Amino acid sequence: MSELNISQATEYALELLGNSGGVAVGEVSDSANIRWANSSLTTNGNSIEQSLSLAAFVDVEGGIACGIASGQIRTRDDVVKLVEKSKASALAAGVAEDANELTAGSQTIDFQKAPATTDLSGLEKVSKDLGQVMKNTDAQYFGFSEISTDTIYLATSAGLRARFEQSSSRFELCAKSIDRSRSSWSGESGISLNNVDVFKHAKMVDQGLVHQKNKIDISPGKHTVTLSPSAVADLMIYLMWTASAREAAEGRSVFSGPAGGTKVGEQLTTRKFNLTSDPKYKGLETISQVISMGSSSFASTFDTGLEIPAVNLIENGTLKALGSSRYTSTLAKLPFTPLADNIIVSDGNGSGDLNQLAARMKDGLLITCLWYIREVDPQSLLLTGLTRDGVYVVKDGEIIGTANNFRFNESPVGMLNRITDAGEPTFCLPREWADWFSRAKVAPLTIADFNLSTKSDAI
Amino acid sequence: MNINPENLAAIALEIVGSSGASVGQVRIARHDTRGIALRDGQVENVASDSSTGLNVRVVHNGAWGFGATTELSEAGVRKAAAAALEMAKISSAVSTDVVDLADEPVHGKVSWRLPVEIDPMQVPDSEVISLLKSWHERVSKHGAVHHVDVQAAMGKDVTFFADLTGNEISQERDRTSASLTAVHVGENGFDDMRTCAPPAGRGYEYLLGTGWDWDEELSRIPEYLDEKTKSPSVEAGLWDLVIDPTNLWLTIHESIGHATELDRALGYEANYAGSSFATIDKLNNFKYGSDIMNVTGDRTAAHGLSTVGFDDEGVAAQKWNLIKDGILVGYQTDRNIAKKIGLSRSNGCAFADSPLHVPIQRMPNVSLQPGKEELSTNDLIGQVERGIYIVGDKSWSIDMQRYNFQFTGQRFYEIRNGKIIGQLKDVVYQSKTPDFWGSMSAVGGKQTYLLGGALNCGKGQPGQTAPVSHGCPSAVFRNINVLNGRAEAGA
Repeated sequence: MSELNISQATEYALELLGNSGGVAVGEVSDSANIRWANSSLTTNGNSIEQSLSLAAFVDVEGGIACGIASGQIRTRDDVVKLVEKSKASALAAGVAEDANELTAGSQTIDFQKAPATTDLSGLEKVSKDLGQVMKNTDAQYFGFSEISTDTIYLATSAGLRARFEQSSSRFELCAKSIDRSRSSWSGESGISLNNVDVFKHAKMVDQGLVHQKNKIDISPGKHTVTLSPSAVADLMIYLMWTASAREAAEGRSVFSGPAGGTKVGEQLTTRKFNLTSDPKYKGLETISQVISMGSSSFASTFDTGLEIPAVNLIENGTLKALGSSRYTSTLAKLPFTPLADNIIVSDGNGSGDLNQLAARMKDGLLITCLWYIREVDPQSLLLTGLTRDGVYVVKDGEIIGTANNFRFNESPVGMLNRITDAGEPTFCLPREWADWFSRAKVAPLTIADFNLSTKSDAI
Repeated sequence: MNINPENLAAIALEIVGSSGASVGQVRIARHDTRGIALRDGQVENVASDSSTGLNVRVVHNGAWGFGATTELSEAGVRKAAAAALEMAKISSAVSTDVVDLADEPVHGKVSWRLPVEIDPMQVPDSEVISLLKSWHERVSKHGAVHHVDVQAAMGKDVTFFADLTGNEISQERDRTSASLTAVHVGENGFDDMRTCAPPAGRGYEYLLGTGWDWDEELSRIPEYLDEKTKSPSVEAGLWDLVIDPTNLWLTIHESIGHATELDRALGYEANYAGSSFATIDKLNNFKYGSDIMNVTGDRTAAHGLSTVGFDDEGVAAQKWNLIKDGILVGYQTDRNIAKKIGLSRSNGCAFADSPLHVPIQRMPNVSLQPGKEELSTNDLIGQVERGIYIVGDKSWSIDMQRYNFQFTGQRFYEIRNGKIIGQLKDVVYQSKTPDFWGSMSAVGGKQTYLLGGALNCGKGQPGQTAPVSHGCPSAVFRNINVLNGRAEAGA
């Protein structure tokens, strides 16, 4: 940036927004990644991206309007154009239904501090260790590793100045037998690659391939399954994404009450099942103030800067809350409930790790992860998708081989009532949704009558 | 672009050329998007974004290196070039694969633009909002409609590509889309009905009626929804299906489009999007579908979302066969993977959704060709004794080798003795790719052909999205497994 840095651009934008005010969010993302396939590195990248997003509030007849514009800033003139664009959009939009007072908030002392940079040492270590792993000629390896650091500058016309740094890391390793008849996967997310134990992941995926040497044909149908934390996370993230107070109150959701209203207060399972989102949860820390450049059922630009508390959406099996903005909470007649960018799933009676849980299942299928999850029926929240990279057959508590893959048709809400056992929550990488949602600590679950609808020949 | 791309590219190419890189490419791009959403007649969002950046891509000592930045200055381009060379150095330490690109003629200094009538980024927000509000008004009046969501999205890509061979390619293309969803809330729950208008490589004129009859579709949405809420639930089992292009495009996308991506067949996507059952040993001998199945890859289709003049490696746009008379005969390639299977030239499918992302092999417009007979959709329905006519797309999912898929739709009409007798609901169709295409007994003529598509096809790590179109006629499929969605949920 030649004329002004990102925090200066954020301040300058706010100045130009004028008396009606608004919100300015500057963001710098520094990321690097490597990708490998067939036991060879394929692509890599190292990039720095900066952008400025503006929400212009404009007084119009009957209230306040809001318009959003974002882009890269290189000169003061770029800021002027972005402000003009956001104001024009606001005027076109007319009165914003969700208009509300911005929170005053506090002013951080490090608002002018330069953006954080990404430490590449972890990626270099991963790359070096992978070189060792890929010497194994009994299998071929595929995967991806990424480290990124985002620095966010939040400024509002109510005086709030906040600066956030947030690093995210990801490591995934997939192993395939040379004849491609077997495939296994392991992954983790976090805030640094420095502690990724590539050799531990390699051992896990190599062990998976050994288990898969014994193929056992299992028919589709309803089976007792133990879902890994990754698989449970992918299902519960989708549940969280649909847990909107407004949709439920309008009768458009699985959480709508049968006679109007919502299902808040209804017991979804007799288990002591908990689904929580908490921005300050140790190991899953994330931004603890609302930053919303746009409005939806879950969020409002006008709520930007408000604190995000820990929220128990489901507590001891009962639906306790649904996500909302201040505005949509009034429509739904429920408390204002902003949600953080993480998920914690636990069961009060859970114990042991995934392997111990699978052993307690006695007979059933241990599912490594799920893939291509899509909504089939919003009314029941029926989801479909595939099992992937390891469906292990458990007999008398021991893994005796591997089954084919399956397409499942299941509702993450409906299945809560069929939880028969649970393990301790562990940090995990939700394989399907990790591009959008990677902060998860989730318990593995054993589910009775899980609907494995049809067989998939995919490996 | 206000910056001088030629000058920035020249700086980068000088750096990487003098470093001994065998390949040096610079791509400078601006991607503009805008979106407007209304909920129950109230504006929920009016937003726009403009993202500009540059990248330098090299092959050095046989390994790829890539550096990118949003800093469009001499300092920025120098940093990106240095980063690309550094990443190539890191890569070469662990890469066993030597990068070798298929040859491409030098095209020199050229420019290309997708033809549009009205630049979609220049239409005032107020005009778009006014149009969408009028749509809301028309639909919300009906007693069966309790909520209406309307949205429009538009995008523009302006790109400049230069390389060490002497190419300087400037391109510009636009896309426009809109949809309306009407919702009914009743004693037995809720239902919805969405417009079937696909996104298109067109300007704002598309929303005014060029290329799609919005008046006709919007006028019918309430009655479609009303009928759906009163319709019986489908009986699960084997049914003959007549699938409308508004639904079939997505089945083509998932079961043919992704399956014939050569990078997937070679394993490059195996950790993420998956691989493909259509492995290279099957080329020219695998029976993909019935004899009437002819599928092309095409980066030249009029109004196609994947249509370009040149791809992101400087390869000129082409059209080619993927499936001919039911046999797999081709793949989608970029220059690196084309060389791997001995092709003399890439068919031009390299694409990156951002200047900060590495170009990877992405989908061209993959289209099922119409039949030689001029059969209408009604003619096809007339061939079916007991079946379902499926219109519009909705839910979709397919496995990681593109075998097992499952789709739903917007509307399902029961066919008895060659006639439509009314809507069904809860229809889910599920099949295995070669079985499904092998069961295709008839395809409609040119008059049934429609270019469908999506703006958000995902692939790659870091994740990238790409717009892509798929043309197809209506077609008949025999004995397809139909599930009941409510029953699958245990209802």
